[in-house]
Amino acid sequence: MITGTHDVRDALSKQQYVASDEISTVVLLSEKLQKPILVEGPAGVGKTELAKAWASATGRRLIRLQCYEGLDESKALYEWEYAKQMLYTQLLRDKLHDVLSETQTLAQAADRIAQEEDVFFSERFLLPRPLLQAVTADEPVLLLIDEIDRADAEFEAFLLEILSDFQVSVPELGTMKAKQIPAVMLTSNNTRELSEALKRRCLYLFVDYPTVETELRIVRLHAPDLTPQLAKQAVELVHRLRKLDLKKSPSVSETIDWARALVTLNAQALDKETLENTMTVLLKHEQDVQRAKRAIGTPGASGGSSKSDDDDSVDYRMLGRPRR
Amino acid sequence: MEQRIVDFIAALRAAGVRVSIAESADAFRAVNHIGVLERGEFKSALRATLVKDAKDTPTFESLFPLFFGSGGPPLFNPTGDLTPEEQQMLMDALRALANDLRRLMEMLMQGREPSPQEMQRAGRQVGLQYANRPFQKEWFAKRMQRQMGLEQLDEALQELMEMLAAMGMERETRERLEEAARGNAEALEERVEQFAGENIARKAMEEKQEPSEADLMQRPFSALSENEARALRDMVRRMAAQLRSRASLRYKKGKRGALDAKRTIRANQRYGGVPIELRLKTKRLKPKLVLICDVSTSVRYCSEFMLRLIYELQDQVSKARSFIFIDDIKEITSYFDAGRPDTAVEAVLNDHQPGYYNTNLGNSLDTLTHDHLDAIDHRTTLIFIGDGRNNFSDPRADLVDQLKRRARRVIWLSPESPYLWGTGDSDMYAYQPFCDAIHEVANMQQLADAVDRLLG
Repeated sequence: MITGTHDVRDALSKQQYVASDEISTVVLLSEKLQKPILVEGPAGVGKTELAKAWASATGRRLIRLQCYEGLDESKALYEWEYAKQMLYTQLLRDKLHDVLSETQTLAQAADRIAQEEDVFFSERFLLPRPLLQAVTADEPVLLLIDEIDRADAEFEAFLLEILSDFQVSVPELGTMKAKQIPAVMLTSNNTRELSEALKRRCLYLFVDYPTVETELRIVRLHAPDLTPQLAKQAVELVHRLRKLDLKKSPSVSETIDWARALVTLNAQALDKETLENTMTVLLKHEQDVQRAKRAIGTPGASGGSSKSDDDDSVDYRMLGRPRR
Repeated sequence: MEQRIVDFIAALRAAGVRVSIAESADAFRAVNHIGVLERGEFKSALRATLVKDAKDTPTFESLFPLFFGSGGPPLFNPTGDLTPEEQQMLMDALRALANDLRRLMEMLMQGREPSPQEMQRAGRQVGLQYANRPFQKEWFAKRMQRQMGLEQLDEALQELMEMLAAMGMERETRERLEEAARGNAEALEERVEQFAGENIARKAMEEKQEPSEADLMQRPFSALSENEARALRDMVRRMAAQLRSRASLRYKKGKRGALDAKRTIRANQRYGGVPIELRLKTKRLKPKLVLICDVSTSVRYCSEFMLRLIYELQDQVSKARSFIFIDDIKEITSYFDAGRPDTAVEAVLNDHQPGYYNTNLGNSLDTLTHDHLDAIDHRTTLIFIGDGRNNFSDPRADLVDQLKRRARRVIWLSPESPYLWGTGDSDMYAYQPFCDAIHEVANMQQLADAVDRLLG
């Protein structure tokens, strides 16, 4: 039973998720107030991971809806299974014949069919998509609406009914209300402004890159074979990289990948060669790799990050000048 | 506490954070569940319910301590375990004190909290209502404390203790009283400091009301202050998002046209080839843009925002090449390959400072047709941003004619309204016949509309 923030933190840490006070408080609140959480933050800080961890910590089934441009109701909510309907019509043809055999006129036949038409528009032929699954599930579920900022604004508006009342409307069947109130988490990378209406219905949680200590704990959890000293060096280096003006800053998941790579390569120290070989695990743009090499590759690189920052800005100007 | 939260929400709103009624109700419900004992959790609860935008977090962070600072421990009443005689002694001694000190010592000795009126009076007397800078807090707090008599605390306490001793109060009791009074004095100091800080913050908020977004959108580029330009730059990205979703909606609605037989057959395989779901051919050419921006002083802002907007919207455009000119033309596309749009625009403008009345579009057009004619083909929309003022040099409208024959469309965005065309050194009438459209873009709203039409 979850009563306080420490319960949340313990439950999450059993799932190997290191939750800050902020995260555990907001998760606790969403349980108590039965409100969705909107999780924002840079890519790869563990937004989706939080939903997964919380689902398994509370024994809920995770239902995930990945958003993308052009996602619409029929992909998110439900679709009629035309093929199955058609197949049933074919198979039931004889039976239909029986039903209709007693009728005299066309009008009578149409009436008779009308009495039976519910058969063809029943839940039997409804293909539930994630949102409908979440609403109709008997067991407790956690609905994860991933990267909501990628979906169109109209889809966002369509979500409002689910988020505030936990119900969906299927025109042919009426309104379906959730049997149990699902936990809902939405994630966003903040590539576009979400509507006020959506934000109003959610608790807001901003997850930023973790502090050195927290990230070290995360790395130790996920790559336990890495020596403590090396792990510390690695995390500190990642933090320095994040201070640079990179196209894509290394995320927490990339730190973990890198730590695992270091373990696999059986690295003893973060020397130049190891760095050159593994840098691409952290940085995904050639330009970034070059910039990072310049920033940390200089002799005495450990001499404070402020110096490397200055260097970097100079490099940047040079890149910015038109080449003729 | 509830009043505190209400005040806090009001301050957030004053600072420009949008907090709806539903959200403030949520905040109260959240606080009910979390309680106020754990400061960190209390803060997280308020933040999760009130702040829905990462850019508002700093405002929240700066206001929170002012309203829910530690506040100092509550004043403590040490007289509870005094005997009636001792209480009487204390009352007598307090009465004997000078008038202004008496009020203070009553608070300290009997643990009476200062009333809001008392605080306000003290604040008014030192002129706190005129303070609006955060760094003034300490200074005003000190003066308020002096006003309340906290500076003479030592003497007053000594005087009081001597009196009590003369009345025959036991030494131990006296010491206990003194200690409690000093503890209370510290709490009171903290209370005053916070009061000052809170007042200053509120005052600062009231004065710093930013112009509303709608205002900014309508403000002419020529009348923008540096601050407003900065606010507008922040808005560009959001506006780009709006334009983008509008463009994509239009794209969706615009799905019409001929039957796409190949895709229809494929999509209807599962119905046994009976074409139930039709697939239509969609045809949508993203515009290919060439921007020619005047960055001389008069149209600088307009060009800057246009560049920002177009490069934020890059995914809606198949290719954009940009040129800027003052006296001669330069290609600036490479700036945008190297960095993010906002830093790139800054670098461009930094590297190309306007001179003194040296705009020359005619000359720039000449260079363009000589060096960069390859940039313009039959799919290109050519966009001029400028006021068409040439400092009386040759407008070379013939070159615009030549460009128009190559390009798909020629659009001119001018920050000047039509009734100023042709006045002074304006050559707009010379260029007009060769433009498919001329839009007046004197402010952000008009610019956004123009870009919207462009993508449509």
